[in-house]
Amino acid sequence: MESTLAAPSQSHSSESPIVKATGLERVYGEGQAEVRALDGVDVTFEKGRFTSIMGPSGSGKSTLMHILAGLDKPTAGSVEIDGEEITGLDDGDLTELRRDKLGFVFQFFNLLPVLTAEENILLPLSIAKKKPDQEWVDQVIDRVGLGDRRDHRPSELSGGQQQRVAVARALVTKPAVLFADEPTGNLDSKASEDVLTLLRGAVDDVGQTVIMVTHEPDAAAHGDRLIALRDGKLVHDAPPVSADNVIELLKTLA
Amino acid sequence: MLSLTFKNLWARKWRSLMTAVAVIFGIALVAGTYILTDTTNQAFDQIFNESIAGTDVVVTAKSEVDQQDGSTPSFSAGVLKEVRQVEGVDLASGGIFSQGAILDKDGESTGGGFSPQFISSTQPEIFEAVTYPEGRKPTGPREATLDKAAADRAELEVGDTILLAKVGKAVPFKLVGLTELGGSSFGGTSVAQVILPVAQKITGNVNRFDQIAIAADSGVSPEELRDRVQEVVPDTLRVETAQENADRNASEIRDSLQFLTIALLAFAAIALFVGSFVIFNVFSITVAQRTREFGMLRTLGASRRQILVTVLIEGLIIGLVGSIIGLFVGYGLAAGLSAVLKAVGAELPANALQVLPRTIIVSLLIGVGVTVVSSLIPAVRSTRVPPIAALSETLVTGGKSRVVVRTVIAVLLAAIGLILIAMTLISGTDGGTGAAQIGGGAVCVLIAISIFAPKLVAPAASIIGAPLEKIGGLTGRLARENAQRNPSRTAVTAAALMIGLALIAFVTIFASGLSSSVNKVIDDQLPGEITLQGQGGVVPFPAGAVDAARNVEGVEAASGVRYVSVKADGKNASISSVDPADIVQVYTVEWKEGSNADLTGLTDREMVIGDGLADSIGVGIGDPVTLTSQDGREFRFTVKAIMKTDSISLAGEGIITQTSMARDFDQRLDAVGLVKLDPDADLDSTQTAIEDTLKKQDYPTVDVLNQGELKDQQKQTINGLLAMIYVLLALAVVVSLVGIVVTLILSIYERTRELGMLRAIGMSRRQVKRMVRYEAVITAVIGAITGLIVGVVFAFLIGIPLSGDGFELSYPIGTLIVILILTALAGVLAAIYPARKAAKLDVLEAVSYE
Repeated sequence: MESTLAAPSQSHSSESPIVKATGLERVYGEGQAEVRALDGVDVTFEKGRFTSIMGPSGSGKSTLMHILAGLDKPTAGSVEIDGEEITGLDDGDLTELRRDKLGFVFQFFNLLPVLTAEENILLPLSIAKKKPDQEWVDQVIDRVGLGDRRDHRPSELSGGQQQRVAVARALVTKPAVLFADEPTGNLDSKASEDVLTLLRGAVDDVGQTVIMVTHEPDAAAHGDRLIALRDGKLVHDAPPVSADNVIELLKTLA
Repeated sequence: MLSLTFKNLWARKWRSLMTAVAVIFGIALVAGTYILTDTTNQAFDQIFNESIAGTDVVVTAKSEVDQQDGSTPSFSAGVLKEVRQVEGVDLASGGIFSQGAILDKDGESTGGGFSPQFISSTQPEIFEAVTYPEGRKPTGPREATLDKAAADRAELEVGDTILLAKVGKAVPFKLVGLTELGGSSFGGTSVAQVILPVAQKITGNVNRFDQIAIAADSGVSPEELRDRVQEVVPDTLRVETAQENADRNASEIRDSLQFLTIALLAFAAIALFVGSFVIFNVFSITVAQRTREFGMLRTLGASRRQILVTVLIEGLIIGLVGSIIGLFVGYGLAAGLSAVLKAVGAELPANALQVLPRTIIVSLLIGVGVTVVSSLIPAVRSTRVPPIAALSETLVTGGKSRVVVRTVIAVLLAAIGLILIAMTLISGTDGGTGAAQIGGGAVCVLIAISIFAPKLVAPAASIIGAPLEKIGGLTGRLARENAQRNPSRTAVTAAALMIGLALIAFVTIFASGLSSSVNKVIDDQLPGEITLQGQGGVVPFPAGAVDAARNVEGVEAASGVRYVSVKADGKNASISSVDPADIVQVYTVEWKEGSNADLTGLTDREMVIGDGLADSIGVGIGDPVTLTSQDGREFRFTVKAIMKTDSISLAGEGIITQTSMARDFDQRLDAVGLVKLDPDADLDSTQTAIEDTLKKQDYPTVDVLNQGELKDQQKQTINGLLAMIYVLLALAVVVSLVGIVVTLILSIYERTRELGMLRAIGMSRRQVKRMVRYEAVITAVIGAITGLIVGVVFAFLIGIPLSGDGFELSYPIGTLIVILILTALAGVLAAIYPARKAAKLDVLEAVSYE
């Protein structure tokens, strides 16, 4: 592992939390079938930091991210994003929130096959009917290294390239928080490294906040902070030291 | 495997049900048609059977030439004396049953629209089939009864006055009773009863009968008596047992209703044809979406055959469910259709709705057959899925060979269709045959276009999508891309709509052409300002009316026109008679050989003949022509002149004098009266004066129309028919709209993850809805535009051979544009549910969806 990245960068950390979750509970089902996916989670995320969320299957890590991103509603507790309480928002307000403050990267890339790479990147701006900041757009495209493939359709790109387009799409709106859900889950190690370097770079260079769910120790090691869940509870919260260190941690959780 | 099929169907029950809609409408129309006509036939059977109560043998006149109104000739009353002499006859009685007009005391018609009214004579008690729920049988010369249903419709009661008219002035009668015939309903038909001599007089049959009813002595069988009576009556008369008579009447009705059955079944076929597109599409999409499942089944050891059977059984069950639902809907539709017919004034008699086993069997067979056949190609495709498909991410799509096969079939069909059309146009085949050939060619081309359609989708969607992209920006763009993404899917959906719209455009243009052709006939052939018609233009009226009109101040000339169907040298022809003195002033004849002077000077043994008829029987000026009357008598006429005719010419295929018409062919009623005014007479006041005169002189059945009103009336008749065709074609259009709904829902299901992503990165529900709506509009408009183009082109092509018959096309551009806009709106309507479904997708589920 590259030790420079494994070591947490403190340069962008600030005291103001951009995401703040308090007393999160999420219960699925009822009675015998009741599953407590989250069982009282308090966590805050500072601006400009790269946090990895880990945990074994069923630990509640995905549920946590979905609730933080306003895609799922907690049974109890609250989530604030950039000072705004989001748990009570209706669909219209959540749509606005996603437009203005959130970016997403998914495991399965989720690009529109009918649009070119550049069009996919600009998609969030088109949806919100915002004028693209051309300088920033160029910079983002440059950053993901797809300058010569702007006009290619997703089917003409490799998986790694598609995921880089997806990252660019998430960055183009300069979101307050970028959520990444297993972004390397479908990629080989080289492509995974490219995507993680991209995310890392966005954090280091422009102070992007990134929250990533992953089950890959290598991926988690790119973050500034590693939190781990088990049975719906927060059981670990510290900077990752190395991938091996993370593997050890996962063993204790399992 | 079978239980898997059922589980699959159940898991996708809404989709399966929507697919079933594709056959439900068509089958409903099939079942509804059968139920309606069976019910009507049964009702007529009952009417005829109940009306022969107490009768053993019936004598009527044979009809040598079928008349358009279906009437049979009357015969001399002298026959009755001969019949009474026959051994074994207990009682014989002559009767009248003849079409006439039944009016209330103000001269307003008591019936509606096209339903016939009859004047009948009372029968001796033994033959009496009717009962009198109110009042009694007429006994005096000024007494009448009316059937109860008609009286209820017209709100008449015993004691009220009614007027009866046929060949003379309307005569008032006192209503002394209301009649019922067993449990039968007459539909819209009404029957008034008066005593025999009065009936004979009103209907112009003094000393004549329409029929003789005979009761046999006990011990003499009807068959025996029939043979004996046959011996003594002239062979122009037909002698039947009462049962034979009832059966023959019933079967004649059956034959005349056959046309209705065929017409309705044709519309059912259209709806089913469109439905087959929808079924094909749904199965194609479903099979594509289940590729991985089929692959998995193959890895588990399922054979191709098993896969094929699973898919086909799904089709079979959907077809079966659809047909059963269709049968029930058809039952309701039969009631609805008879209500529609009642509304347009053609009420059919009906008792309990008749559902024969044939109706059920045919409906199920057709419904299941159409569904299974439509799902055949997708089913075969499903067998081509290799086991590896279970593991791969991307869907396996069809190979090239099918595309080649498809193209070959399309090219062949198009070629056959075009050759058929071209041959007809080059050879100049006129009239019905030509139109039928071009119609057949059109169907071939239509199918070929549907097969080619995927190639048209991309450019068409780009053009139609352009304005939507202007308005909707990104949503418009995505909608257009989505429509183009799977061209064959969009193409089949649009093609289904295209068929309905092509037919709508076609009939719209044709109806408009018919209206303008009729207007042209009125303008070109009728120089007079006023036209006289009997009740709604369908019932002939007494000749005295035209004479009365001629004497009104301000009228310069007037002629009645009568029609009769005859055989001219053995060939069926409809000829007219006119008043030679006045005719050239009110009717413009285009001469081939001859002049107006020939017509003015026409004598009673001369005729003017149409060029078509003259050619086909091979006669020229000065040649004799033998005209055979309905009762088989023959009359010789000499050809005086030859006129040009076409199929909507007012003069028919020949003209004789009124005198010959009355004397030789016993036609004393005018179908239409043509009136020309003095140049300085005022139209409005003269028209009113004619109306008043006719009313005062007891011709209340005659309508007085000026040319504008006449055109309006013709237009209304055509538009009424057009409206009915629209309603029936709407079934096919609704089926194709359901096709849009299902296809959209399936596409949305396929794009769940994509929609989730769009929502995650900030697309609002409204934007999602708009995107789906635009896609529906693009699909609908592709279907509409191709449909309209196809309809216009075919109307143009079919109009060519018909133009020889005086038919000229006109293109109602405004109406066609309205149809286009309505179709786009229908697309929006079809998108409501899919759009809502897409907008309601849970973002979380959508992004974690696999």
